[in-house]
Amino acid sequence: MVSRKQIKTYLQKEPKFDDIMCSLRATGSQPKGIIGETKKVVAIARRFNEEFTSSYAYELDRKMHQDPDHLAWDVVKKANEWGFYTMFMPKMFGGKGYSISAMGPFREEIGSGCIAIANLIGVHYLGFVGLASSWNMRLIDMICREVVNGEKTGNPCLMSFAMTEPDAGTDSQNVEFMDTGSLACHAKKVPGGYVVNGTKIFISCGHLSTWHILFAYTDLQKASENMVILAVKTGTKGFSFGKKEKKMGQKASIASELVFKDCFVPDDLVLLDRSQIEGFSRSPRDITELILANIWAASRVGVASFGTGVARGAFEQALEFASKTEVDGKLLVNHEWCQCMLAEMYRNVAVGRMAYNEGNYANGMDGAFKLLNLKPIYYLSKYTPVSVFDRIMKPLCGLSFTTWISRKIAFDFMGDAEIDRTDGWGSLAKFTATDMGLKNSRMAMEIMGESGVRHEQKAEKILRDSKLLQIYEGTNQINMVNVFKRLVARACPGSRCFSEDNI
Amino acid sequence: MYASNDKELNLLDKSSLEFAKKELAPGREENDHFPFGPFFGHVVDKAFELDFFHIFLPEDLGGVGHGIRALCIVLNNICRKDSSLGGIMFTNAFAQSLMLEAGATEVLKQISDKAGSAGEFLIACPVLSDPARSPMGLSADRDGENYKLSGKINYVVLGGMAGHALLPASMPGEEGYSWFLVDLSDPAVVKSDVVFSHGMHACPAVDIELKGVLADLVGSAGEGNLYFRKAASVMQVAAAAMAAGVMKGSLEEALGYCRQRRQGGRMIKDWSEQQMLLSNMAVQTEVAQMLVSRACMAIAAKDKDWETRAGAAALHVVSSAADVVSDGIQSMGGVGYMKDFGQEKRFRDTGHIQALLGFLPLKKLDFIRKLL
Repeated sequence: MVSRKQIKTYLQKEPKFDDIMCSLRATGSQPKGIIGETKKVVAIARRFNEEFTSSYAYELDRKMHQDPDHLAWDVVKKANEWGFYTMFMPKMFGGKGYSISAMGPFREEIGSGCIAIANLIGVHYLGFVGLASSWNMRLIDMICREVVNGEKTGNPCLMSFAMTEPDAGTDSQNVEFMDTGSLACHAKKVPGGYVVNGTKIFISCGHLSTWHILFAYTDLQKASENMVILAVKTGTKGFSFGKKEKKMGQKASIASELVFKDCFVPDDLVLLDRSQIEGFSRSPRDITELILANIWAASRVGVASFGTGVARGAFEQALEFASKTEVDGKLLVNHEWCQCMLAEMYRNVAVGRMAYNEGNYANGMDGAFKLLNLKPIYYLSKYTPVSVFDRIMKPLCGLSFTTWISRKIAFDFMGDAEIDRTDGWGSLAKFTATDMGLKNSRMAMEIMGESGVRHEQKAEKILRDSKLLQIYEGTNQINMVNVFKRLVARACPGSRCFSEDNI
Repeated sequence: MYASNDKELNLLDKSSLEFAKKELAPGREENDHFPFGPFFGHVVDKAFELDFFHIFLPEDLGGVGHGIRALCIVLNNICRKDSSLGGIMFTNAFAQSLMLEAGATEVLKQISDKAGSAGEFLIACPVLSDPARSPMGLSADRDGENYKLSGKINYVVLGGMAGHALLPASMPGEEGYSWFLVDLSDPAVVKSDVVFSHGMHACPAVDIELKGVLADLVGSAGEGNLYFRKAASVMQVAAAAMAAGVMKGSLEEALGYCRQRRQGGRMIKDWSEQQMLLSNMAVQTEVAQMLVSRACMAIAAKDKDWETRAGAAALHVVSSAADVVSDGIQSMGGVGYMKDFGQEKRFRDTGHIQALLGFLPLKKLDFIRKLL
């Protein structure tokens, strides 16, 4: 019928087989052990929700209404006790080493109970992704071990991800806008380090974090080629916390302003700068784009799992209400129209889950964590004791060669098709699942009527929480354009994205 | 809303918008902090002095007697800035409307004549529910010439601040239900704390428990559903006017922001996807304004099939508001989600407006069942 060569040719035609069949490809290529790990983390998350989230989330939300400046240290400490902040950190850095592929279902579970609490856990991993995207193995190891130590001592050590600026939301997230946009966080090279001036806003859990993965720029006119990633610790001279935003929802997951005034960051806390990316085959601008793509590919899948969690939370509240409430002489759940609405909500959850799983598979096979999911490496990591890792990896991470070779693999060996696939699926999953989240939240309110508007009935909090998911990690509109850019545009010669042609 | 060439309505249009801009917009965030902050009683008092709560009441009963069109114009303008006061006006007007349908004019006149403050004038009512659809929480027992009410009822809007409440109750051995007027200062009325709610924080509601409270029957016994339907067929348009006002406020705020904000080196208003978002908002908002105006005219003129037209208009407007206020936040990105702007409050308030007069899906079913 078709020759081997023809098969290859046909599967490369749009839509590319590898782009549209991530889950099928994963069936054969991903380690089977991930299934067991996923089951385990889902069970842990369910128990956490049962013992903590379900009884506390709404009390906490009310507390945040009363006092918007309240910091949810109690949740952070609880999550720390449960080992959530090291759960998905690779063993080589002292973490528990659960597969990052299992993180989506874990986030969905916690998110179905409370998105703010899910964020108090999950945002730390956004910081971790920012940290890891630098491939600075010495600093990744150093900071991760502080997190591990924080778990042991009961003093949580979280990471925040500091990118958004007062006049630059989208500008900071897309390489196309960085040079023409309004970025203002300036890092000036001085002997022994950088001096940073600027403000970051909407930084989730900023006030609760110990380390801040800061994105700054040495040349604001050519920011795309001059991005600097710095590790700044709370308490550093010149760095202070500004206001806490008064948000509609996800209140416990505080959104912080970080202020840098002549803040000196020494060279040994520079995760990445232009001098460190010379000599790779990709240009500095392309490396910036690659780093951002890797971050968004991972984090947007994360937001998609939150979106699915919120869709599920809304569905579960509506179902519970419909099962208990009598309307027109019979239980709401026995009205055909209500059954259809609940079925639609169930479908929306399933669609969100399929979308984030597909993104998850893409990341596992083709993304930044590809290496960790290769079967030999996965099983070696799984069955090697931490003590052995410590003896081997700790000294290795300190070598500049380890950082160089890691970057060589990450920056030079990742193909354009893989970047397109992972970044594209990150965006697709994000806007799909978060739209499902908002849709279900609104449907729950419709089904619940007067009860829905009451805080203690939970649906209204879910609706407030869900809206933010359509905004952060790039608005859903920006993510739609990114899907076009990454997965559609190449089939349309002459098309351009994120450019003046689109006005 | 279109006041057309009616001078009186035009005047009301301008004065209510002016009031909303001066009295409501500046304190919106602070007022929304209730029940964890102070109640905006001074604004409610001012609205009372300006006769905003008297608009729907006929002149011979101490009201202004402007009717549904005037009520919708004022609600629309108020809700552009802060729908909490709109919720208070709506609740009171609905209670008045239902009592008018039941022929309880004398009681309404008495309340109006005696009232020296907003609290004394306002009538609380569980306006987020349709009593016929759910099991009745209150029962009324005859006690000679009087009735005594017992039981529990949830989410009585204004129950914590009004002098009277209009409440539904069933009577043993009688079909259907009836409406009763209760003096809320009666010591046998037990009120909960203010219910902490999704939106309209400054339009407070309480749960109420009655322990043999003396109550006046409103209209005829067992005719409660009939009065409710008649009042709702008109007042659903007032709810739509509120939704249309919220939509208009959301659009105005989004347009204002997009004219100033830059991203990607350009004004965000110049990006075509942003324009598409705003266009969808603007189309829905203009359609809502027209539908409410036309529905008001149809009601006032008692056009043929006015109930069908008004019902369709109200359902369309109230349903579409959810998309518009959501896009209102979306168009402003993260800023739209923060309390510094009005968009997030509009998003929450719309959830309340949708629930006025009962479950939205059931209102849709009621609408089509009349045509089947």
